[in-house]
Amino acid sequence: MVLEADLSARIGDIGAVDIVAGIPSFNNARTIGHVVQAVAGGLAKYFPDRKSIIVNSDGGSTDGTQEAVVAADVDSESLLLLSHRVPTIQRITTPYHGIPGKGSAFRTIFAVAERLTARACVVFDSDLRSITPHWVELLAAPVLDREFDYIAPFYLRHKYDGTITNSIIYPMTRTLFGKRVRQPIGGDFGLSGRVASRFLSKDVWETDVARYGIDIWMTLTAMAEGFRVGQSYLGAKLHDAKDPGADLTAMFRQVVTSLFGLMETYEDVWQRVGASEPVPMFGLPFDVGLEPIPVDVERMKRAYQQGLRDLDSIYRSFLSESTLEGLGDAAGRTGDDFRVSDGLWVRLVYEVAAGYHRRLLDRDHLLRSLIPLYLGRTASFVLDVREADAVLVEAKIETLAREFETQKPYLLEQWNAATPRR
Amino acid sequence: MQGILQKTIFEPFERLAQQMAHVVPVLVTVLFVLLAGGAVAYLTRRVTYRALTLLKFDRLVAGTGLAGAIERTGLFRSPSEFGARVAQGTIWVFIVLFALSAAGTQVTDALVARFINYIPDFVTAVLVLLLGSALSQFLSRSALLAAVNAQWAGARFLAGSVRVLLMSLTVVVALEQLRIGRTALLVSFAILFAGIVIAGAIAFGLGGRDIAREWLESRIKSEPTREKDPLQHL
Repeated sequence: MVLEADLSARIGDIGAVDIVAGIPSFNNARTIGHVVQAVAGGLAKYFPDRKSIIVNSDGGSTDGTQEAVVAADVDSESLLLLSHRVPTIQRITTPYHGIPGKGSAFRTIFAVAERLTARACVVFDSDLRSITPHWVELLAAPVLDREFDYIAPFYLRHKYDGTITNSIIYPMTRTLFGKRVRQPIGGDFGLSGRVASRFLSKDVWETDVARYGIDIWMTLTAMAEGFRVGQSYLGAKLHDAKDPGADLTAMFRQVVTSLFGLMETYEDVWQRVGASEPVPMFGLPFDVGLEPIPVDVERMKRAYQQGLRDLDSIYRSFLSESTLEGLGDAAGRTGDDFRVSDGLWVRLVYEVAAGYHRRLLDRDHLLRSLIPLYLGRTASFVLDVREADAVLVEAKIETLAREFETQKPYLLEQWNAATPRR
Repeated sequence: MQGILQKTIFEPFERLAQQMAHVVPVLVTVLFVLLAGGAVAYLTRRVTYRALTLLKFDRLVAGTGLAGAIERTGLFRSPSEFGARVAQGTIWVFIVLFALSAAGTQVTDALVARFINYIPDFVTAVLVLLLGSALSQFLSRSALLAAVNAQWAGARFLAGSVRVLLMSLTVVVALEQLRIGRTALLVSFAILFAGIVIAGAIAFGLGGRDIAREWLESRIKSEPTREKDPLQHL
């Protein structure tokens, strides 16, 4: 049972709504009040004639997160400087059940949306510092007014931010399913009621999808199942540090496991997809100042070199000789000459995907062994764009994405190979 | 004269002939069992190899420690060939037992009986070794990956230690099952294990006092001292 009896009774009294705004949380007392204010303001300002509700799905916070949701001042007159009366947005805060993680929180939000027969469901991270009421309109309006099913966010991010997205998730997403959604794991989304119900019906809620894998899972499922997908320009994304208990290995493993798992689920779909195409974009792009991010390139290079030295026998079980040679050459380069080229990186990711699919090694070990190589590629990217402005950085990411598309036949060849490489 | 000839020449020949009449059929039977068994063992190897190839056995064990161990021996071309050789060897063991049994002497009968009684223990010991080997491979690889991702300089040493320790334990358990040198083995292992622990403790105590203090401080203090990764990877 996804919904508790108490919650079920409460939403039974509400009846039906047009929009459910979901906010998953875990120990976000510091920021969630601001998120609730922005979402309530957005619903009141942009959708005054629609019936809406805010649902906070909490993972057992001990820092007063749920109290902060209830205490948030959502008086729209003072927030939005409106002269006319707007309805107060009802708020529900509830603990979720299942595996602790964002995915389980979303499951509860989707269950509420389904029970309330909501036409649109918008979800926002609870650690956001840059959210404004306008985000609600940008994610919900395309669903309510333009018949879109799934709206992904488009943020401006610092060039060193979102490195898993830039180096794996975005290029792989567009290569596999042919849609150029720039932030497939952005964190804030707009969904139609039918997509929310579709997600809810899937048997994935006891897997890594219930954790960090939820964002990539939702985006790829929406694309693979032919729902209308778009993206909205939200400006800068500033947020508190991710779950403090989470480390890179866990995040990386959960996201990439979801990606490779979906590649297996929708094998018949992505193997037929050719070139990619842009998806409709909503909102007005504008420039914003972004907080600089300090990066320790030397630490990442050391991790890469140690990985190649200590994990050689593991890599040999799923990487080709030529890829290993290329990685070894990169490790030998010192200073600013250190590079893991686009071509080499794409080949590596494809061989890892195929190795995962063909179970050439224990899957968990395979993904964990990828961390040093990913850090090497990240170090290479940082060195490459150190002096570059945002436009040039985006051009480089576009070049990488094209390389992924160009080498797709290699992925197909590796993926469909019947026998082990050795 | 005739009596002397009878005693010195004919009687020994008769006894020899009687013994030969008893032994030759046995030898012929043993020889036949060995020849026929050899053919069966050869066929078993071919059939097993073919079956394992069809079942994609090489692919199944590619990621396990077994494949690596087989490769390191340099004696077998592939895990399938190893499996086929094991099947052939097993058949040979039974053929030899059958041949010994056919000999029908007291010594061979006792030998066969002792061997048959030993089979359950032997099978258990082999299973313990296989399971221990796979487990030590998996856990040492887990330790290696965790240590490399934490950027520990001694990652391989740690993984090797985990492997050696687990394999030592496995071998002791297997030999215990085979009832080979029970007491001596257990005492040796206990001494070795205790020695490793004490040596490790002394080495850490002398060489890593500062690290130990910093580690304990970081655990006791509320603020962790470990440097945070400033990148947002997702």
